[in-house]
Amino acid sequence: MKKSNSYKVFLFFNFIFMMFIVIVMLFPYLNIIAKSFNDGADTMKGGLTVYPRIFTLENFKTLMKDNSLISAAEVSVLRVITGVVLTLLVQFAAAYALTKNFRGKSIALTLYMIPMFVSAGQMPTYVLFSKMGLLNKFWVYILPSLFSFYNVIIIRTFLQNTIPASLEESAIIDGAGELTVFSKIILPLSKPILATIALWTMVMHWNDYTTTLLYIRKPGLYTLQYKMMELVKESERLQSIIAAARENGEAVDETLLNQMPTSEGITAAQIVLTTLPIICVYPFLQKYFVKGIMAGSIKG
Amino acid sequence: MMDSEIRQKKKIKRKKFCQDIYKDRYIYLLLLPSIILIAVFSYAPLPGIRIAFQNYNIYKPEASEWVWFDNFIEIFKYGDCLKAVTNTFYISIVLLFITFPAPIIFALLINEITHTGLKKTVQTISYLPHFLSWISVIGIVTSLYAKSGIVNDFIAMFGGERMLLLAEPGFLVTNVVILNLWKGIGWGSIIFLAAITGVDQALFEAATLDGANRFKQVIYVTIPTIMPTVIIMLIWRLGSLFSDNFELMYGLQNAFVQFEVISTWIYKNGIEGGNYKLSTAFGLLQGVINFIFLFAANQIAKKLTDSSVF
Repeated sequence: MKKSNSYKVFLFFNFIFMMFIVIVMLFPYLNIIAKSFNDGADTMKGGLTVYPRIFTLENFKTLMKDNSLISAAEVSVLRVITGVVLTLLVQFAAAYALTKNFRGKSIALTLYMIPMFVSAGQMPTYVLFSKMGLLNKFWVYILPSLFSFYNVIIIRTFLQNTIPASLEESAIIDGAGELTVFSKIILPLSKPILATIALWTMVMHWNDYTTTLLYIRKPGLYTLQYKMMELVKESERLQSIIAAARENGEAVDETLLNQMPTSEGITAAQIVLTTLPIICVYPFLQKYFVKGIMAGSIKG
Repeated sequence: MMDSEIRQKKKIKRKKFCQDIYKDRYIYLLLLPSIILIAVFSYAPLPGIRIAFQNYNIYKPEASEWVWFDNFIEIFKYGDCLKAVTNTFYISIVLLFITFPAPIIFALLINEITHTGLKKTVQTISYLPHFLSWISVIGIVTSLYAKSGIVNDFIAMFGGERMLLLAEPGFLVTNVVILNLWKGIGWGSIIFLAAITGVDQALFEAATLDGANRFKQVIYVTIPTIMPTVIIMLIWRLGSLFSDNFELMYGLQNAFVQFEVISTWIYKNGIEGGNYKLSTAFGLLQGVINFIFLFAANQIAKKLTDSSVF
């Protein structure tokens, strides 16, 4: 296809626009990383871009001294591992069963479907959890989100499309037991979909803070994302106090101002700590996530 | 037919039923965990909806008296509630007009990149913010918007006064739009880009032969063919006009910015404040209206085009 001049001009501006998008997407994060490795007092002077001016590990060292943060990191990791393992078990079992024909299949499907449209809402759920004694328990992170019909449909579609029933049948004719078929044929062939679901679940568990906000009051069970929320609120509060003082023409409390430089660097370090696992795996994740979107849309 | 014959048939049927169940016992075993989970976490909370119609007694729930629609009437007497509703709508509408078309335009522009490597790189990078949690995003902007942060550096560069952007009530809606764009534009474009790639290449060739330039091809070929996808996505969006993003809105609230939306209102009055009946009623109202919106949007889409969600 011959390109007209005006199209070439468009392509040029399109390229510039794409570069702009790339910068907008990356800059904020790079800026945070630079801040986290930069000397706190120096950060206060402003003008920091994507590299630290005065390199220091002090921010991270201070962070590591915070025991509540270490505990939160542990809870987050434990939550992700437990959540992913149990989710895979429950959802894969249901999806595999739904590839078969059995009595009551339509009843089961209806039972699964209804909650997609009808939900009790936050307060009734809260009341039930408190009755069940789930409040302030680690399991409140895991159990309520274990089942997802959406995921089950995606796994089932995958199984139906990749593993022909004839393959199973011929294995059984060759003398393989149900268990052998499952472990030697079904499971190895399902690796891609299991990886996809595992990664979705991982990101969901790692990123959630509302479960903690709603159901957990015990500091020992806080997650990294919840600590992030506390930090955001705290730094906003601190800034608000200073702003209020300025507005009223009062002298700003020097001690507060002196707290700011350190807290800014540490804030940045904490953001890096909270987001790093996701940032590290996301380039590998995204291909699985894109697949999931497609699977969902084909279904719909 | 004789009585015993019927009985015999019934017996056979029952026997067949038991045999079937026994034959598939492992299948039921596989389904059991998920059935228990939805029973406990999806169905068991449903009776709790009655709280919306009761004068709920936290200490003695059985003793709660039925007041039927009083709670709903009370919602509308509360100035707070109405404010939360209008705020939710306001944010949704603003986001609909800006963040709905943005990924479509972005997808169209990405599609014009001819260099495959560059295209992939831009896409991958634009997905990055999607994977961060909302609260991390707020953390990042808290740092960017800080007095010594990069945004204030810019403001100062152009001679402005350094200010605390997160403490400016007037900046909130703009901020919500910016954050939604940042987090969602790349990710939102995936589905449209897939639709664009699915356009039949022969159509473009035909259009070229007819003398249509690239721009005209986009208008007359690409856009009409991705229209079903756009409409499906629009239906979902319209269906959620009455819902809001708790993680974002709660995270952005502070001493200066008290912008309540429905979910933050429910959280504050229900779980923090202990006003169970009003929050349940409000939540139920939101759910019902959401459903009506989605249903209505779907019907409209069905009428106008061939595409619908259900």
